[in-house]
Parts: sequence; C-alpha cells; structure tokens
Amino acid sequence: MRQQYGRRSQVLAGALAFFALAIVVQMTRIQNSPEADIFRQLSKDYAYEWRTFYPNRGEIYDRNGRLLAGEKIVYEVGVDLTIMTDPHAISFAVSDALDMDYNQLMEVIQNPPEGISYIVLADYIEASQANYLQDLKKALNEQAPEGSMGGLTGLQFKSHPQRSYPENALASNILGFVNREGRGYFGVEEKYDSLLAGNPVTVLVPTDPNKAFEIPNAPNGTTLVLTINRDLQAAAEDILDTALGTYGAQDGIIAIMDPKSGEMLAIATSRRMDLNEFWNYDAVYDNATEFNPVISKTYEPGSVMKILTMAAALDSGTVTPETTYLDTGEILIGGVTIQNWDRNPWGVQNMVGCLQHSLNICMVNLSTQMGANTFYNYMDAFGFGHLTGVDLAWEAPGRLKVPGDADWYPVDLGTNAFGQGVAVTPLQMMSAVSAVANNGRMVIPHVLYAMVRDGRQYEVPDQFGTTPISEQTADTLSEMLAISLEDESSEALVPGYRVAGKTGTAQIPVDGYYDSSQTNTSFIGWGPVDDPQFMIYVWLERPTESPWGSETAAPVFSEMAQRAVILLDIPPDAIRQQLAKK
Amino acid sequence: MNIPNVNLPNVNHLIHAYRVAPWRVQRQWIGNALLVVVVFAMVAALYLNVTSRTAIAGREIQDLTDAIAASQQVSSDLQTQLAGLTSAASMEKRAREMGFRPVEPGELEYLVVPGYVAKDAVDLSSSAQPQLNVLTIPPEYNQSLLDWVDERLVTRRYQ
Repeated sequence: MRQQYGRRSQVLAGALAFFALAIVVQMTRIQNSPEADIFRQLSKDYAYEWRTFYPNRGEIYDRNGRLLAGEKIVYEVGVDLTIMTDPHAISFAVSDALDMDYNQLMEVIQNPPEGISYIVLADYIEASQANYLQDLKKALNEQAPEGSMGGLTGLQFKSHPQRSYPENALASNILGFVNREGRGYFGVEEKYDSLLAGNPVTVLVPTDPNKAFEIPNAPNGTTLVLTINRDLQAAAEDILDTALGTYGAQDGIIAIMDPKSGEMLAIATSRRMDLNEFWNYDAVYDNATEFNPVISKTYEPGSVMKILTMAAALDSGTVTPETTYLDTGEILIGGVTIQNWDRNPWGVQNMVGCLQHSLNICMVNLSTQMGANTFYNYMDAFGFGHLTGVDLAWEAPGRLKVPGDADWYPVDLGTNAFGQGVAVTPLQMMSAVSAVANNGRMVIPHVLYAMVRDGRQYEVPDQFGTTPISEQTADTLSEMLAISLEDESSEALVPGYRVAGKTGTAQIPVDGYYDSSQTNTSFIGWGPVDDPQFMIYVWLERPTESPWGSETAAPVFSEMAQRAVILLDIPPDAIRQQLAKK
Repeated sequence: MNIPNVNLPNVNHLIHAYRVAPWRVQRQWIGNALLVVVVFAMVAALYLNVTSRTAIAGREIQDLTDAIAASQQVSSDLQTQLAGLTSAASMEKRAREMGFRPVEPGELEYLVVPGYVAKDAVDLSSSAQPQLNVLTIPPEYNQSLLDWVDERLVTRRYQ
C-alpha cells in the first residue's frame, strides 16, 4: 500500500514536471518562432505613439490687466476610416454644417491615400459648428437600432487652441497677428514671437503607463503685459476717427507716451484691421509701412522740428530766449530763397516770438549761425537717421542727409532746420522731443511693461537714450513753448493744465516738387509742464478742411489731452500743486 | 519521589527510527518544496499587485496630464470669451444703453485719500502656485522601509 502510494506520487510528480517542462519548451519555442519577430515589432510599434502637444501661446495684456490677445478652442474634424460606417451620412452632415462641397468630401473619404486610416476633413472649425456636429452624432447614435452604430460613427473631433483677439481691431497696429502656422506678423506678435510662442511639439510618447513620467512637458509661452492703456487707446482711436472726418484727412495717427519713462500709453492709427480675420490684410493695407505708420512711415515733419533746432541753438549757446533778430520775410541759402509760411516779414522778433509764429527765416538763421557741423551733430544726437529701439517690428530709421552725402545740398541746412528735406517717423520725433520734456535726457520708447512666466511677473526696466541737451536748456525751451502757446491762444491749450508744444505744417513733395495744396499737419505737445506725464503726437495726412497744423492737429491734441488727463487720473495743475503743498 | 526505571538505549533507538523514517523525510521535502512554492506565489502575487497598481497609477497620470492640458485650453478659451464680453467696445455700448456718458473735465472732483498709492500697472503674479516636487512630497510616499529604519536609528543616536 505504501509502495503503491509512493509510485503514484512519483507518477504525479513526473507528470507535473513534464507539464512544467512542456510549458518551458513551448515558451522557448514561441520566443524563437518566426512570428516572434512580428510580435516584437508590434509591441515596439505600440510602445510609443506620435502625439502633438499644443501649448498655449503667451497672452498679451494691457497695463491694467485687460486681455488683448488670448487663445480660443477650435476643432479639427476628421474621419477614422477603420470604424466609419456611412460615408454618405458623414459627407452630408459635414458639408451642411461647414458649408463644404459634398462630392469633394465623398471623394476624399472613399478614395483615401494608401495606408491612411484617418483623414482630416476640416480644421480651425469654430466651437459652435463642432458642437453642432457632435450633438448630431450623439443623436444619431441614440436613435440607431439596437446593436448598430449611428451614421456619423467614425467622425472625430480634436480640439486645439487658436489665437484670438477679444478687442478685434483695437490696437491692431500694436499687437500684430498670428497666422495659422503660429508665426507672428507685425507689432508685438512678431517682435516677441519666440517669447510668446508655445509652438506645437510633436514627440514620441510612451504608451506604457509605467513610463508616464516620460511624457514631455511642452511649456506654455510667456505672457506679456504691455504699457498700453486700453481705455486710452480706445479713446485715441475714437478721437482720431472723428478728426479724420472733421478735417477731411486721408490718414492720421495719435501717439501718447510717458515722456519720463518712454512707456507708450496709446498708439492709434487710422487704418486698423480685425486681427481675428488676419487674412483680410491685403484688403486693408497697400504696403507694410501702413500697418503701423507711427514706427514705419517716414515723412517730412515740418515745423515740429523747430523745437529741436531751437534746442540745439540754445544748448550750443548760439542764442538765448531774449536774443532778437530782424525778420525780413525771406532769406537766401545755397542759392535758394526761403520764405516764411505766410511769405511776410515779421520784423524784430525774439526766440519766443520765433517759436510762437513758427518763422522759417528764424530757423534758417539759427542753423546757419550754428554751422552745419554743430547743427547735424545735434540732429544725430536726437536720433534722426537711427532706429529708436522701440520693441515693435518693422521700425524704419528715417533719413537725415548730412554734408558729404551725395544728395546733400547747402540749402538742406536751411530747410532741415524747419523740418523739410528730412524723413522721420512720428516715434522718432517723440523720442527726440522727449529730451526737452525729460530734463534733457531722451527716452527709448517701448511697449513691453512686464513678462509673466511660471506665475512670476518680471518687470522690464525703462531704458534711456543719450542726453543731447542740458537740463537747463530743456527747462528753458519747455517754458518758451508753453508761453508761445499761451500768447498765441492756441487751440492746443488744455483748460486747467499748462502744456508745451508746437504745431507743424509740412508741404508734401509730389514728383520732386512741394505741392502747397497738400500738407501734413501735426502737433507735438506734453504736460503738465512742471511735471510731464504725457506726450501726445498728432499727425493728420492731407487734411482738406485746412492745410494748417494750428487749425487741424492742434485742436485734436487738445481734445486728446483732455481725455488723457481723465483716464490717467491727472488732477488739474491748481489742485495738484495744492496737494503737493500739503 | 521515585524515578521510573526506563531502558534509555531503547528510547533513543525509537526516537532515531522515528526521525529517519522514509515517510517523514518525504514529508519534510514536500513541506519544504511547498514552502518555496508558497513563498514564490506570495512574492509573485505581491509583484503582480504592485505592478498592476503602478500601471493603473501611470494610466491615471496619463489621463490627468491630458485633462490638465484640456482644462488649460478651456480656461484660456473662457478667459478670452470673458475678455470679449468686457471689451472696450462692448462696455461702452452697454454703458451708453444704461444711460451713462463720458465724464466732462469740469464734473470731476479730486479727493485726497491719506495713504493711498495709485497702482502703476497690473501684477499678474500668482500669489500661491503650489508645485508638487520631491521636497514637498511627505517621506511616507517616497521613503523605503529600510530608509525609515535608518532614519529612526540615526535620529535615536543623536537624541
């Protein structure tokens, strides 16, 4: 009995051992079978998958935290051919919802390229359209008979972000736009493209959950806070649009800057486009310089240049505010006779009268007394012919001809002094004149206030340019300009606030000759004079109501300044000085 | 007390015979083998359990990563929609519809508020951004038993 039990145990042990051995043999056989390589390859294929990550592009805010550029969700609509049941239903639904051609869709779905299991039918579809199709698919699934699928089975939706501009055309000239490939064009979008970009990243991602830590992290782009004040920008655009209608101007700009820091508070241009429909660019602009003429479009500024000629003359000691001269109404320079704007003599004038009456003869006298070297050294120091360094794409350097250039003539020394024969951008003028408003030191205009990354805000320090004139010269000239406006009872005056500034009227060269019927009118001014907090530049192109800056740009400046002091919380001088005393 | 008279060599012989009995040796072998099998089975079960839980956790991480990305997109989308609703043009239109108009300079009254400092610009810094990293994860979640014992010993030594 015991022997029998022992034998049975041995048989059972042998059988189990054989079974175990058989398992090992079979495992070894499978591992080395011809199919093993196929399975190994399959496991490799499924171990990783290509996935595209769409990190959000950095947002853009104004200085008060108003969103100017963000992201919205749009959809890619496609068909998974492996599970598709009814191509007709899909083609019909998609063609109806997305306004596409039914036959074309059928052709694409029924004749896919070799080896393709997923076809993209449409991309950048608005959420409302995608939601409609998704609801339809769900409804058809619910109505389908037991055991069968709905007609839109296989229709798939993949969401991804797309740039969106909630203010539409507001500040479009500052922001620029992003195309569907994620590349920024113009303005901040182009200048800071690499910083903002959270470009889609397509990488191999492990499907093995044990390797979840290997999922790549595609960081979002850096968020930018601009120096722009949205409400001031909206007011500037509104006032500019009204001014274009009132004065019959062809185009125009209003730019507002803090003259002590260089922060641009508003840059309004007459041509603007809805950035959400960037494909209309060609319909709005004839060339790239029109996107933001404040930085890209050069022109002859006219009499606003007299501020800088006077600054150079005062700073070089050529004249003082009390220096007088006899204005005969015309002067000969380089073989060309220069006349005043009204072609009349103004008799004995001091330098305040020179600015107040905007006398060309006075300016020619100053530049010739200084001499070409001194005059052009000052103009170079003011930055003419150089980029201001503003952080916006497509800035133009302008052109300042100097002695020695092939196209410079002696008469240019005279005409340049009153802003003709020189090409500048409005922003260059603001940067140069900021030296007068900011104690002799020029500011570098900029629109970036801060960057936000990983939850931390990094503020960008203000940058300053050269100091072309002394503090004393700047103070003296500011006072002269304020007095000249007050004595003239200029339309640029702002009730309750003391401002300094200068009008400009420049004839426009047409086919090599100046056309007296077509002018660029402008006004540059700042205030309050004792503590400048805003500088406003107005430029109206070819106004038809009046050719003079004093009658077109000056009142626009005043209106803009009156709105600016409210929006920037600047109390009237009397109240401010009263508060300062306390 | 009387001690019974026992034949000790016979007892030792019986004990030896009992110890070397073939069925007892076999049973010991079987017991040992079964013990090895049971230990292996327990280790395998433990390994399987840990592996499956790790896999589930990994899958959850993958899902949560996707969910975070989707939530960020939705958040950005809603933020943009909100900005559209509060855009300059929309707000002005709504304000005018409600009977408001732009203030005139003469209608403003400036008041002195002691200690008030007007803010220059917005600060978009996140005041609290909890970041889960190695330093903030409690040791219970990343410390092995041996590490814990070692830490206890070191702590006791320095007390």
